[in-house]
Amino acid sequence: MSMVNNVPIGPYHPLLEEAEYFNIVVDGETVVDIDMDIGWMHRGHEFISEQKSFTQSIYLVERICGICSTSHPLACVHAIEDIDNVEIPERAAYIRSLVGELERIHSHLLWFGLAGHFIGYDTVWMWAWKYREPILQMFEIISGNRNHYGMMRVGGVARDIDLARIPEMMETLDMVDEKMNMIAKVANDDPVLKSRLKGVGVLTHKDAVDLCANGPTARASGVNTDVRQDEPNDAYGWLDFNVPVLHNGDVYDKFVVRVLEVIESTKICRQCLEKLKTVKGPILNNVKHISPGEGIGRYEAPRGEVFHFIKSDGTNRPIRHKVRAPSFANIPTYVASCKGIPLADALITLASVDPCYCCTERSLKVVDKNRDPYKIDLLKLSREKTQDIRSEYHV
Amino acid sequence: MPKNEFFETMGDKVGHTIEKKLRYYFEVKNEDLHEVINYIFNNMGCRLSTATATEIYRGIEVLYHFSHDKTGTYYCPRIIMKDKEKPQMNSITPIVRGAEWIEREMAEMFGIDFIGHPRKEPLLTRNNPTVEKLPLRLRRVS
Repeated sequence: MSMVNNVPIGPYHPLLEEAEYFNIVVDGETVVDIDMDIGWMHRGHEFISEQKSFTQSIYLVERICGICSTSHPLACVHAIEDIDNVEIPERAAYIRSLVGELERIHSHLLWFGLAGHFIGYDTVWMWAWKYREPILQMFEIISGNRNHYGMMRVGGVARDIDLARIPEMMETLDMVDEKMNMIAKVANDDPVLKSRLKGVGVLTHKDAVDLCANGPTARASGVNTDVRQDEPNDAYGWLDFNVPVLHNGDVYDKFVVRVLEVIESTKICRQCLEKLKTVKGPILNNVKHISPGEGIGRYEAPRGEVFHFIKSDGTNRPIRHKVRAPSFANIPTYVASCKGIPLADALITLASVDPCYCCTERSLKVVDKNRDPYKIDLLKLSREKTQDIRSEYHV
Repeated sequence: MPKNEFFETMGDKVGHTIEKKLRYYFEVKNEDLHEVINYIFNNMGCRLSTATATEIYRGIEVLYHFSHDKTGTYYCPRIIMKDKEKPQMNSITPIVRGAEWIEREMAEMFGIDFIGHPRKEPLLTRNNPTVEKLPLRLRRVS
């Protein structure tokens, strides 16, 4: 006889950097349903932005997410520029794309670390975060900050690149490239990793399309969508890069898509830095006034499409500012990807979408249908499953 | 009217249109919404990025943002509800599953009743004990 239990995760849980609540319904060890309850981190950014000037709004949206702190300002300035078809200087376009791609590299490295930790690959966790550190130092060279870079302006960027520092930035990119090729080799050769992630948490192509998923979540399910190629803003139209698309929709493909994206990002960064050696000129066009109208701005953030819509009435502030982060579209895909999987795979499936998460605590509560609580450690469960597979392979 | 297969097919179901580079903003009547959305989503293969509700002088406006990824073009159907007290319109969630959260957010922030929505309950303010009613309309209500 089957017995259905509820497994609540959150609203404060180590899996999630933001506070979210998941109620996982399990029958024995199998997940049969999942319900999401968000809003714990709702801070009213749209309302606040409508009280600020356009320039202040850029700084405000930079603080929506600590990891994507250049994607929101980029989408925001794209939206404002879309109202008046503002052109930006060529040099500013390369700087914008450079900063955007560096953010993708550091965000994906952060995810590799956490994903490795969740499935018991602590070495991957430590390596990935070690390789992420020089990228943060590159941000410090470029903007003066390791996070919240304050680089974006309507009509260009705020700071120029110091040409004397380009060689050391190139060296960092070479290092990341080499290490990512090593991680790609591990993903390709390690039988335990493949057994642990292949076929886990599958999001089918149809579900990805129906649920309007985007970013690596969609591209791992065969949906070829990427703002950088669909609507090439900034320097992306002049750069040579590929958009990796895989077709199985499982956690393994989401992992591989991100590995390949980091390699492509290093390629883009190198091209930008090479161009910045020769492309001279201003970095900011002087935009004094925004006309009445509507503008759509978007950018391919590490997690997917960041979307901003701004309506202007001709004053110096937006009368409507709509913000949609990629996780808002991707988290509902759990309904499709989590059903039918073992509870031990739930953690890595939830993490595979790359919602914001951090590492503070490790326990959650299981409540059976009689509301009798007992403790279960989902992280331990996940890591034990990897250990079982290792034992099978005698490694 | 823009020379485009979508606008030629939809004919007079599409009202006032603003055309910009890679952007089409156009008004649609509530009774034609499902037909237009069905064509955009299922025939043209567009992806719903999100939807924006705004309180304007004429009433409450909902602007859907559909991305045609192959061309980088946005198709934005606009619905205007003149009754600010009880704004009502058809839900597109039965056609586009990805609209569920988007419409729930607009419902709680602006008080819009989406007819046919499968789950009419707050999304972001459900657990907030001190939430103001219709928070994004507060300063605009007379």
